[in-house]
Amino acid sequence: MLLDLIGSTRLIFFGGKGGVGKTTVASSTATALAAAGRRILLVSTDPAHNLGHLWEQQIGDRVTRVRENLDVLELDPAETTRQHLAAVGHTMRQMMPEHLHGEVTRHLELSAQSPGTHEAAVLERIAEIVAGSADHDHVVFDTAPSGHTSRLMELPELMAAWTDGLLDRRDKAEHLSAVARGLAPTGRDRVTATEAPVDRRNQQLRSILLQRRRRFTLLRDALRDPARTVFFIVLTAERLPVLETGEFHAELRGAGVRVGGLVVNRRSPADQGEFLAERRALEEKALADLDLDLPVIQLPLLPRDVSGLAEVEAFAELL
Amino acid sequence: MSFREKLRAFTDGLTEFYAGPYRATFIKARQQEDDLFMMLVLSEALGVPNPASYYTLELLPIVYEDFHAWHRRMGMEHSPLENIQCC
Repeated sequence: MLLDLIGSTRLIFFGGKGGVGKTTVASSTATALAAAGRRILLVSTDPAHNLGHLWEQQIGDRVTRVRENLDVLELDPAETTRQHLAAVGHTMRQMMPEHLHGEVTRHLELSAQSPGTHEAAVLERIAEIVAGSADHDHVVFDTAPSGHTSRLMELPELMAAWTDGLLDRRDKAEHLSAVARGLAPTGRDRVTATEAPVDRRNQQLRSILLQRRRRFTLLRDALRDPARTVFFIVLTAERLPVLETGEFHAELRGAGVRVGGLVVNRRSPADQGEFLAERRALEEKALADLDLDLPVIQLPLLPRDVSGLAEVEAFAELL
Repeated sequence: MSFREKLRAFTDGLTEFYAGPYRATFIKARQQEDDLFMMLVLSEALGVPNPASYYTLELLPIVYEDFHAWHRRMGMEHSPLENIQCC
């Protein structure tokens, strides 16, 4: 059922409130797809990674093969930030006098702590993965709880607008430069001759900004393309997750992301005694508030935890 | 200096005389654009929250060349950034 909804969509996201079983559902989906012969990359974007626990092995920030056709990766924003800062620091140190190198290091250390850096690093990695390799037929994202993720989905648009703004400013500055030069009588006068470094700098700024914008628009276009991206909201049949699902759905739609369906996890059985039957009735009531026109996939509450290869496989059968 | 060269020097002088003030205005406007850009890039360090500081960071090495002249133009005798003391 879930696999039919996915079809050949390349980017598959699972999101929802904390603790509803995103990691389990994402892993089972990845397993089921891999079993169907597709090559899968399963990526965790939640800084509190769980994939390692579920698959019962050390994973971390490198592509790790857990079974045939299935690679797993846990993004580490801190490490990404560190590498980014190291690259910038290297360029800055080359350009600045040696006695200021300590200052550069301190400035960059502070920047690493500034708000937004973390999400920017995650975004950077997602952009890389989305733009990247043809080694995988599907990329399955196990995302952080809703709030973070809806923000993440809006970021490419925001950042593209931001680079556009800066590029506009550069256009204006360069235009003024050109006009000023046009007014020079001979073109070889002293003022314009000294502008060569300014021109060089302008070109560098422009090429960095253009490269950024290209990345952001690529990612934004991929996320907004219903043929390439599908988002599934995972929830449990309780009042709060149901309410949050409504809001989350609206935010994702606002960001232009196609929501492919809802996965209701841990449904209580109706035929296992009075207690669970009562729970089930309560769940039905909570789900009645869910008036979204979307396919709903129900997964049963299991008597054991889903962890380890065998159990994930068994759970994948249910999809 | 031949007559031709003298004439060329004279017309150049005239062009400069008439166009000079306009050119200065455009150069000044360009300068102001650059100053604004610098402020956008440094906003986080100046205490204005910047959603994109991760990305402005990579522009720093390039705008840094002009940093000293910038804070002088902005009327600050010393660098306003604790971590970049250029003078």
